[in-house]
Amino acid sequence: MVLNMKVSHEETLQKIRNERDVSFFDLYSVDQVTTDDLSLLFDLARGFREVKTAKLALCKGNTQINCFFEASTRTQSSFDLSAKHLSMDTTNVGGGSATKKGESFIDTVETLDAYNVKTIVIRSSEAGVAEVAARHVRASVVNAGDGWHEHPTQGLLDVLTMLDHFDTTDLKGRTILIVGDIVHSRVFGSLVRLLKKLKANVRIAAPATLLPSDVERFGVEVFYDVEEALGGVDVVYTLRVQEERGAKGFIPTLREYSKTFGISEKRLNLAQPEAILMHPGPVIRDIDVHSALVSRHPRSQILRQVENGMAIRKALLWVLCERFDGKQKEFNLL
Amino acid sequence: MASLLIQNGTVVDPKNNLNKVCDVLIVDGVIKKVAAGITDTADKTIDATGLTVTPGLIDLQVHFREPGREDRETILTGSRAALKGGVTTAVAMPNTTPEADNQAVIEFILERAKEVGLINILPTGATTKGQDGSTLSEMKELKNSGAVAVTDDGFDVQNPALLRRAMEYAKTHDMLVMSHCETDDLTDGGVMHEGWVSTQLGLPGTPEISEDLAVEKNILLAQKTGARLHLLHNSTKGAVEAIRRAKATGAKNLTAEVSVQHFALTDEECLTYNTDAKMYPPLRSQDHLDAIIAAIKDGTIDALTTDHAPHIEPDKLKAFVDAAMGSVGLETSFAVAYTYLVKPGHVSLSEVLALMTYKPAQIVRFDRGHLTPGAVADLTLFDLEKKWTVDPMTLESKGKNCVFKNKQLTGKAQTVIVGGEVKMRDGEIL
Repeated sequence: MVLNMKVSHEETLQKIRNERDVSFFDLYSVDQVTTDDLSLLFDLARGFREVKTAKLALCKGNTQINCFFEASTRTQSSFDLSAKHLSMDTTNVGGGSATKKGESFIDTVETLDAYNVKTIVIRSSEAGVAEVAARHVRASVVNAGDGWHEHPTQGLLDVLTMLDHFDTTDLKGRTILIVGDIVHSRVFGSLVRLLKKLKANVRIAAPATLLPSDVERFGVEVFYDVEEALGGVDVVYTLRVQEERGAKGFIPTLREYSKTFGISEKRLNLAQPEAILMHPGPVIRDIDVHSALVSRHPRSQILRQVENGMAIRKALLWVLCERFDGKQKEFNLL
Repeated sequence: MASLLIQNGTVVDPKNNLNKVCDVLIVDGVIKKVAAGITDTADKTIDATGLTVTPGLIDLQVHFREPGREDRETILTGSRAALKGGVTTAVAMPNTTPEADNQAVIEFILERAKEVGLINILPTGATTKGQDGSTLSEMKELKNSGAVAVTDDGFDVQNPALLRRAMEYAKTHDMLVMSHCETDDLTDGGVMHEGWVSTQLGLPGTPEISEDLAVEKNILLAQKTGARLHLLHNSTKGAVEAIRRAKATGAKNLTAEVSVQHFALTDEECLTYNTDAKMYPPLRSQDHLDAIIAAIKDGTIDALTTDHAPHIEPDKLKAFVDAAMGSVGLETSFAVAYTYLVKPGHVSLSEVLALMTYKPAQIVRFDRGHLTPGAVADLTLFDLEKKWTVDPMTLESKGKNCVFKNKQLTGKAQTVIVGGEVKMRDGEIL
């Protein structure tokens, strides 16, 4: 027992890792992630979660650039702190100077790549920026949200939160309801793909104006009545409805949205007794979710999601920075 | 008397219902005789054994960018691209800088086309001043200076009252109206076909109803006003159904085209955020392609075009939502039609050529596209056996934005004759 006390955090994590590698070099879509990749990332994330904010030497000597063309609070700080806890050097660039001067985002990321950085984390208001950037740089590109497309690490942290709550390895037989602005949501884009990969039943509830074309082809069941949709579900996942969507005529008013699709305690009780409430943030209290349910309610996993976000990002950065199989990203200058 | 004899080619001349191995004699730039075993002596002979001899192709929709955006394309480079594709007549859209909304620009284009002297270029004028959809352009002046039609091409006239006036006014001067059918309020920032692929990519989609509604509007207004209407690049089920219905119920002076990419490629080309596949109308889903092919087969469609739209690299090297719309197409259009329509057996070679020769010529009232004795000798010799892979860097066009990049095509123009003069021989522009 005394010996165990001396095992370093790094050794513990190396033991969990067991020289496993992921199948990808960039992460722009969860479609790239195999079930083996998921197991590795989740195993590591649980390990990182245990050691909280400990400074670890696992990625020492590697540099990360957080390239946020679109503003972010939680995702940017989470990626930045995760890298720092792994002993990476980091810097942040925004959509400021170069973009305003008319530089193409491709030239921007190629410039950053010339610093010999290991990871470039990209957030953009346009879909596809991270995926295209990945084809132009040697560094590993991580998508931190691209337009309405995907937000892979959000999807991973959400699924980790669900699996840990239910203490299972897949979501077979579980029903997850996603409520809110589906069409404009990159969170939905990653989450629905991962949930289907893990065999969950997925329901979505929103007014038809907030649903993308052919959404049922993801393998989801569509509901216009949120109370009907809530019946017997295991997870209630709410998405933010943005004020500006109202102005563009997607919904008449936030008031009516809140009355028809907002999640109240009474509505939450229509779900399974053990059901949990999740939200990717930022929450608009009393519109998406009644204020009392947000952070302190026993069913709410919202802050747990944030904690898991750091853990999953550390797991991801480590497997991108250090590989055991000796493989390198294939890169041909176009 | 300069004479040229083309021997032993398979002559396919849809207008004259001809499809057989024979010779073509050209004297002083005019078709003199089409027959087997012509024994007349000629100044020059071309052995066309194994080749297919057709009227030079006519493309009703190209963007040559000159004047104003010579970095994208010029009348010279556009003409060279046309020759490579076997196209001898191109109808130029008016969205130049400045717009072709006045006689000076029309005259400039015609003058440049003459100086370049490679193909026939027929300019169109803008329907509204500056193509801004608010004030009618001087259509009579445009016609007098040589415009063959008016169109606001990429900008459909949104205001139905103004479109009605435009049609009434065009009718007054017997001017053809060409309409790009799009309802801006329904497109609403869409950058590709709205459907399962746009949903997977998280890109704002353009619903098919944006086109359907505009096609219905244009047809109804044309029928009410009696204007001659040509519908540009139709791409939806709804559009071709509306055209078929209108023609079946006696619509007069209504013609419609399809751009070749819209029966060849689906919206899946946009996967991986390939900006070369971004265009308007957008590449659609397979059900629309099937409807387009059915409309080509049953005669609803009168012409096949390219919508040749060259861009500079920086305008395509952008996030998909911000990238420029359009693809070059002059050098690939025949091969695309041959590969995707004729080879799979949808229509015959003769039927495809009809849509690329005399039928489009009739729409713009240009007496070409056939090999009748006495006709101006614009001809193309195609090698139908030639298989090739599209490499944009080898294209004559300044625009390397080609949606057919890396596609395997069959059929290539080998020799092109314009006005009796050989302009391209064995793939080399002379």
